[in-house]
Amino acid sequence: MTETLAGVAAPMGVVVTPATAARRGRRRPRRLLGLLVPLLVLGCWQLAWQWELRPRTILPSPHVVLSAADAFFFGRRAPGLSGVVYFKGAGWTHLATSLSRCGQAWAIAVVVGLVLGLGLGLSRWVADLLDPFTNALRAVPLFAWLPLAAVWFGVNPTSGKILIFIGALWPVVVATTDSVARVPAAQIETARMLGTPRSRLWRRVYLPSALPEIVTGLRLSLTLAWTCVIIGELGGTTDGVGAMMNAAREAGRTEQIIVGILVFAGIGYVADRVLRLLSRRFISWSAT
Amino acid sequence: MTATPGRLVATGVCKSFGTLPVLDGVDLDVSAGRTLALLGPSGCGKSTLLRVMAGFEPFDAGTVTVDGEPVTGPSPTRGMVAQAGTLFPWLTVRQNIGFGPREQGGRDVAATVADLLEATGLTDFADALPRQLSGGMRQRAAIAQVLANQPPLLLLDEPFGALDAQTRLRMHEWVRGLLAERPTTTVLVTHDVDEALLLGDQLGLLSARPSKVVTLRDVPFGAERGRHTLADPAFVSLKASVLDQVLEAS
Repeated sequence: MTETLAGVAAPMGVVVTPATAARRGRRRPRRLLGLLVPLLVLGCWQLAWQWELRPRTILPSPHVVLSAADAFFFGRRAPGLSGVVYFKGAGWTHLATSLSRCGQAWAIAVVVGLVLGLGLGLSRWVADLLDPFTNALRAVPLFAWLPLAAVWFGVNPTSGKILIFIGALWPVVVATTDSVARVPAAQIETARMLGTPRSRLWRRVYLPSALPEIVTGLRLSLTLAWTCVIIGELGGTTDGVGAMMNAAREAGRTEQIIVGILVFAGIGYVADRVLRLLSRRFISWSAT
Repeated sequence: MTATPGRLVATGVCKSFGTLPVLDGVDLDVSAGRTLALLGPSGCGKSTLLRVMAGFEPFDAGTVTVDGEPVTGPSPTRGMVAQAGTLFPWLTVRQNIGFGPREQGGRDVAATVADLLEATGLTDFADALPRQLSGGMRQRAAIAQVLANQPPLLLLDEPFGALDAQTRLRMHEWVRGLLAERPTTTVLVTHDVDEALLLGDQLGLLSARPSKVVTLRDVPFGAERGRHTLADPAFVSLKASVLDQVLEAS
């Protein structure tokens, strides 16, 4: 057998074509390009502050925001009364609380979404039973649930978690249902022929085959979950990034509000990168 | 219970898709360990016949049995490999080959897999993903994946159709060697007369749709077939007459 791989065979049998090599080389300058817009925004912001286009209490300087962020995360927390929303030194506590609320609700949404999606995609019976119901529920705007949740649970983190759950659920359900339904029939036939019983097909074929699309759904769902976190933190709690921002608004601390926005942006970005890295690692087979 | 397993018998197999009749009373009898090459005009239902034998396609009338057991659905005792390949893209070559034995809770999966990796010349690519392999390697892996279950019956649906001519010729020699070591009743569907004559012990010719078997004859070449056979005058004249028959049938 003298045949070799197309392209240049690397030791692991990985094909390195000139195209991929070139793409790798180009990546670095492109990543730097992504910094251009944030820097531009920062520059405009600084100028707007210098020229005092808006009163400085409403438009603080980037520097003030930066020191607020520094104090938020690295300042010493002063002992004080309970029931007060702290800024100084309370960053990690607020962040951890928000992350945990989001994580809990998202995790439940993922599990329920996967089960529901697999059921809808795999079983005609389940689809006939649940499709009209889920499709109708899906059409309800996320924020339309807020008044009901507020009446039942109050404006507090519990309501917030329920909203996160609802918001995060649909992307998982839709991605799972669609991708499972699109699994090639040949893959199912092959598995059946090789001895996989019907009851195990979902684990052996449907789930792995659909995984790349499901992961895309999970990413969307996580982004949504993170954006919903603030809803439950607008009342009934003194910790969480949202609670901090709400308190900052009441106290007229604009720089602190902006710190909250930066925290949301940063965490959302990092979470998506992590999920993307994980998905590259585990579904590298589908990389194009 | 027969002595050597893998006798395939089809009698009066009929199949239509809606109002379109595809198979019209196909009769076949392949004795254990032999290779039947099926030729026929394009679109005559060769693939459908193979899918019927694999148990993927229900049929309207007739019977298909392997060692007397009627075919009612897909089974690890009947392995089929199609042109597009049937490897799972998310599994490595090793995992793909081990898939069948593992699904059946077999022991010595690792030994079976190592043996087949060796036989396919893919030992060095055991941990590669299917997309990292060349077309020929992929088809060898797909055949190994099916043979891992040691099926009495192997069904090949134009398995080398997507390969270039040289690779195909190498694959023919490789398959001959593989099946010599692992006697398996094989039905090979192809449109390539060279392939049919190089690999088949028997040659079946299907008529145009709705198809039935019009000729069934033995191939008069022994085990020592290979690229040199292509130049054999007997081969050349047989090829010409078979080609005439195929073209006449369409």
